[in-house]
Amino acid sequence: MSFNLQLVSCLFIFIVLILVVCMLRDGRINIKYALVWIAAITVLLLFLIFPSFFTWLTKLLGFNVGSNMIFAGLIAFLMFINIILTIIVSNQNNKIRLLIQEVSMLKGKIK
Amino acid sequence: MFNKKKKVLLIIPAYNEEENILKTCQSIKKCNKDIDYIIINDGSKDKTGEICEKNKLNHINLVHNLGIGGAVQTGYKYAFENDYDIAVQFDGDGQHDVNYVEDIIKPIIDGNADFVIGSRFVKELSEFKSTGARRFGIKIISFFIKLFTGTKIADTTSGFRAVNKKIIAEFAQNYPTEYPEPVSTTELLKKGYKVEEVAVKMNEREGGVSSIRAWKNAYYMINVILSIFIVSIRRYK
Repeated sequence: MSFNLQLVSCLFIFIVLILVVCMLRDGRINIKYALVWIAAITVLLLFLIFPSFFTWLTKLLGFNVGSNMIFAGLIAFLMFINIILTIIVSNQNNKIRLLIQEVSMLKGKIK
Repeated sequence: MFNKKKKVLLIIPAYNEEENILKTCQSIKKCNKDIDYIIINDGSKDKTGEICEKNKLNHINLVHNLGIGGAVQTGYKYAFENDYDIAVQFDGDGQHDVNYVEDIIKPIIDGNADFVIGSRFVKELSEFKSTGARRFGIKIISFFIKLFTGTKIADTTSGFRAVNKKIIAEFAQNYPTEYPEPVSTTELLKKGYKVEEVAVKMNEREGGVSSIRAWKNAYYMINVILSIFIVSIRRYK
């Protein structure tokens, strides 16, 4: 990997990291959900700073090309996030249903 | 006649039923028995709410559309809060006949059942038995409920059902939102409640649209069967 590419990638990842931290500070996302992003960023940073670790891992897991490992890893990561989001949506569905029912019943009583 | 001690509530879920809701309520009042009713107006886009308001029908307007499961559950919550002994699900579209309410709650009053389904298929009372495709679908669901629970239920999608006080409390807490009729029946069977089917006569709907529209759709069947399967492998205390 060329040094320039390494530098640009690091910069990009730092911007994402700063973005996440800022959103956390302003309370726009919950810590619970931000941890996943911070973990992902850390892994990417590790790969960028120690490219040899990256090639070692590629060989160890049996991928022919490094980029294949990246794709596979990203797909797995996104699927994981999707599953978590599905759980969150289901929970919120239940909460919204309960709220609609209770509010409607209260409204009926007040009238 | 009706047992004086038992408080009976008809839960009438209504979504866009402006043509029928008044007729339904008048038929309930006309039969002049000791039954209360509550209309759950599930965020109708037509004049259902206004009609309820104008005619002083006992109703709850849901502030947003919830679908049949969420609407019916609101009725069970109302029944639970107001300490009813028996709750009967009753359609607002003229399909169900109020004269059969007596038959349907009898097994509960006698203590022979916890849950009673008003069935089109037990005895040959009803001329109206819905379309062939739909009957076939009901048969398939019936087969799977028998497979998973060991009990034969002929009319798995009937919306004319009566429950006792214990099940009111349970449904108020937790009622399936998707495919509520077959799923809740499976759930109750798995929990070991006594379920009985009673023959009733149903009319062809006079207006409105069925909550089950996707009958010809294989997708619906697969979903129902999957839901029944999941419910039946769930662990209960």
